[in-house]
Amino acid sequence: MIAVTAPSRPVDLSEACNNVGASLASATGSGHFNVWGNSFCAEQLPPAGATVTVDGVDFTMPALGSGGPDNVRCEGQLFDVLPGRYDWLYVLAAAERRAEDEIALHYAGGDVDFEPLRVSDFWAAPPVFGETRAFESTLMHYPHHVQYGVPATMWCQRVPVVRRAELLRVRLPRNVAVHVFAASLVEAPAAGR
Amino acid sequence: MTATTDRGETTRTARAVNRPAFWYRDLISCLQATFGTVLHQRGLDPLTVLGAGWEFLYLPGDVRGEEFYYPCRPPGDIGRALAPHHPVSATWHTAPDDDPLRVLAELVAAGELPIAAVDNYHLPFRPAFHDVHAAHLVVVYGVDRFRGLVHVSDAMPPAFTGPVRAEDFRNAWGSANPADEQDAFFSDARIGRRYLTVDVGPDVPTLDREWLSDVLRANVAGFAQERAGWSGLTRYLRWLSAAAAAGDADPLREAYVFGWGMQALSSLHGELLRRQGARWSDAALSEAGRRVESAAHSWTGLRVTAAHGWPDPRAAAADIDRHGQRLRERYEIALAALDRVAALP
Repeated sequence: MIAVTAPSRPVDLSEACNNVGASLASATGSGHFNVWGNSFCAEQLPPAGATVTVDGVDFTMPALGSGGPDNVRCEGQLFDVLPGRYDWLYVLAAAERRAEDEIALHYAGGDVDFEPLRVSDFWAAPPVFGETRAFESTLMHYPHHVQYGVPATMWCQRVPVVRRAELLRVRLPRNVAVHVFAASLVEAPAAGR
Repeated sequence: MTATTDRGETTRTARAVNRPAFWYRDLISCLQATFGTVLHQRGLDPLTVLGAGWEFLYLPGDVRGEEFYYPCRPPGDIGRALAPHHPVSATWHTAPDDDPLRVLAELVAAGELPIAAVDNYHLPFRPAFHDVHAAHLVVVYGVDRFRGLVHVSDAMPPAFTGPVRAEDFRNAWGSANPADEQDAFFSDARIGRRYLTVDVGPDVPTLDREWLSDVLRANVAGFAQERAGWSGLTRYLRWLSAAAAAGDADPLREAYVFGWGMQALSSLHGELLRRQGARWSDAALSEAGRRVESAAHSWTGLRVTAAHGWPDPRAAAADIDRHGQRLRERYEIALAALDRVAALP
């Protein structure tokens, strides 16, 4: 993977977080990433509020392990973004089984494009859509115990921002299998504008 | 191996020569994983055998709360259902009350790898151990009656190959698998010491483009059947959507179970076509495979929405309907792609 060199602008998702995807070993029952109540091991993930760089893109990590919501379970949420011209929307995401859906990109002037969002399973799975393995907990949290031998993976995936126009808003898919932990927009190089 | 117990009884230990290799994909269930393990042991490529067919089949009233549920046509032969283009058949049996492990030992001694139904609650290597009741399948490759062990292979994560105490295995194998509020999908289905034997006949076809084209044509033709296939998919999705709108929870809960088999089948078929397309430099075949995989991935939205939504079906109804429409669209696109590549020389 060649790292991005253009500036990236983390998107604030904190107000929209609606799911607890990571838990502490002392409170595994607080996590509920999937229908079985499994969750990431928060001790093996970056701390809340940390700025991390994956594939050269900066992200602000959510409140993992706080016991409170730490990701956006996709239900069609609409976000305003810092208006600008971008090439990519990068996400740190994971899915409850492999998922392919669409993100809606809203541009100045009223144009709207739908672009694919493809996210692999978080539960002991390979990156079937060519994602980067951003973070992995080697343990899986179950409601009543910590399970060895079942890793949980947070993927770094990207969505193309094809239109050469000012991006204003992004709508996540309406698909509860997809969870987004963090997002960042990568600016288009000046020549590409 | 023959051994003598401290009571002077002579017992036999049956064990496969080699530990079976795991076969696993992230969208399959223990059904395809155990079959894949057995097929690999027989020298067959599991992806070719389990991924050749592609169909849609829903049998009203037939779905059971088991991870390994799969609709069977013809009834009772899950081998033919999973591998319709290969000489594979599989039969369910129930072990006798008297010394039930003997039948597994005899099968292993004869070179077979029986697949046993179990309740995860009783198996120490499963995450659900002493926590959740859930129906599952494992491959049995050894019965050590002298030491009181049963050797099992389970490719589903966390993946385990090795011995378990015969007492634990018997408890798992004979479990009533009672209803468990922690598992709304795979509990409440009696295990009853069931086991599967898999038979592979002669005349296994050679995987070449001509054979695969015949297979694709047969699959596409199958989708034109009146009750199954395309019309069956359409009817099923409309029924599921209407059930959600009417507040009926059971069809949504069932959709998670039933959809697993269809999703697994679609993912294996798509992967096979993509793999062969790459090997044969047949781009159209690869693309058709990816279309089928896209249909497989669309099952995720429907299944997961149903799994989370069944306690309040009406609230989930609009999303169930939308995911159903998308699934139908993906099948339609995939079928069109398959139709095209099947016609190519």
